[in-house]
Amino acid sequence: MDNPGYTSLTRLSGLAREMSVVANNIANISTTGFRSEGLIFAEHIAATGRNEPSLSMGSAIGRSISAQQGALEQTGGTFDFAIEGEGFFMVESVAGQALTRAGAFIRNDFGELVTPEGARLLDAGGAPIFVPPDARGVALAPDGTISADGQPLTVVGLYMPNDPLELSRQSGTAFTAESGYVPAENARVVQGFLERSNVNAVAQISRMIEVQRAYELGQSFMDAEDSRIRDFLRTAGQRS
Amino acid sequence: MRALDIAATGMSAQQLRVDVISNNIANMSTTGYSARRADFADLHYQQMTRAGAINAADGTVVPAGVQVGLGVRPTAVTVTWQQGTVAATGGDLDVAIEGRGYLEVTLPSGESAFTRDGALQRTGDGLIVTADGFEVNPGITIPTDARAIEINASGEVYASYLGEVEPQLLGQLNLVAFSNDSGLEAIGSNLFLETGASGPPLVGQPGEDGLGTLRQGYVEQSSVDSVREITDLIEAQRGYELNAKVLTAADQMLGATTQVR
Repeated sequence: MDNPGYTSLTRLSGLAREMSVVANNIANISTTGFRSEGLIFAEHIAATGRNEPSLSMGSAIGRSISAQQGALEQTGGTFDFAIEGEGFFMVESVAGQALTRAGAFIRNDFGELVTPEGARLLDAGGAPIFVPPDARGVALAPDGTISADGQPLTVVGLYMPNDPLELSRQSGTAFTAESGYVPAENARVVQGFLERSNVNAVAQISRMIEVQRAYELGQSFMDAEDSRIRDFLRTAGQRS
Repeated sequence: MRALDIAATGMSAQQLRVDVISNNIANMSTTGYSARRADFADLHYQQMTRAGAINAADGTVVPAGVQVGLGVRPTAVTVTWQQGTVAATGGDLDVAIEGRGYLEVTLPSGESAFTRDGALQRTGDGLIVTADGFEVNPGITIPTDARAIEINASGEVYASYLGEVEPQLLGQLNLVAFSNDSGLEAIGSNLFLETGASGPPLVGQPGEDGLGTLRQGYVEQSSVDSVREITDLIEAQRGYELNAKVLTAADQMLGATTQVR
């Protein structure tokens, strides 16, 4: 294959990858606290030799995670918390600490608030949150203070990654950041609500159509390139 | 084409959601039923370029990297514990639980099960049982010559007799709490079993230790909110269609690939 073939190949494999990203966004359209994701393409320039035009290829080098607020859905659950504004809950599992916006917590048999998968919710001091089993009414104030029967228990911790760009996705709607976490200043929490996935169906479908058409364009380009080479070979064969 | 598999996980997730919704709607009139909700989380992420890796071309550090998610999976079907409406029935053995707690019943196997369905009955011998005939624990027998039965908010059961002024105490209906209600195992017939996650049953008198109170002559209705279930159903259906669209598009891309000569 010649250079044009390799160039369109980088485009096609990038588009196939982007299709996976779109498919993952749409698959998670009902996932609580899910943040949709985009792929960033960049030009990759290869020199082809002296006095020759350089070769430009497109490759996916990074991704962007949408920080857009998802819609809040009223559930009425005592331990259903949603965050308004930037910031994440900190949860701790055997795999370590992670950030999440999925605020559907339950009380385990030790009385600690945990995610449906068993990771413990941490308070502002980094300790698990214990809610006494005999508490009649558990209330959450917008600043994160949890109180049982009017007695404040602790404050739900809201955190941000040290570097806002550095978020690594983990399964379970969780994120980690290697450079550590700092308390989030301007976030509020609401009780009895869950944050929906922030995937925008219209945007994802139009992106999907675009990807699909661009892929077909690349395919017909490779077809055209193929017949160009074939024609050249045939003509060259007749001359000799 | 990864997108095909990813769309398939999305479709099966929406399918599960429809299953949960249809079970809720089917139990719209079930006494003491609590609506269930399916919770989802994203699946594993495949690392394409690690965040913080050094870009080979110019030596800069890649700030975000490329990770491709592999779809969605169900994490839990949570029972949403909300007090259902209490409806007046006038039955002397109908008790609605207002607040937390369950009645304990004994299964034929001798095991204990727990229910919020307080539409109780009596057997020919006067024993208090549930509508399905499971004995309520602790067992209380109502004498055949009792004229009226009264159950007060704290669970004391009294019988009044013809010619007697003071009603007589027959026994005490207890309530049982769990530290983690969501950990209970539903076995149908409005019954739940204790599991390792729910914690042990904590028996107490109604109105004490955070337990709810009893209300005679009422039953707790299903807490299913039909408007909510229908909007969820519409959402699940559209979500399914969106995922099906992705499946079609990914298939067409795959078709285009095979057409490259």
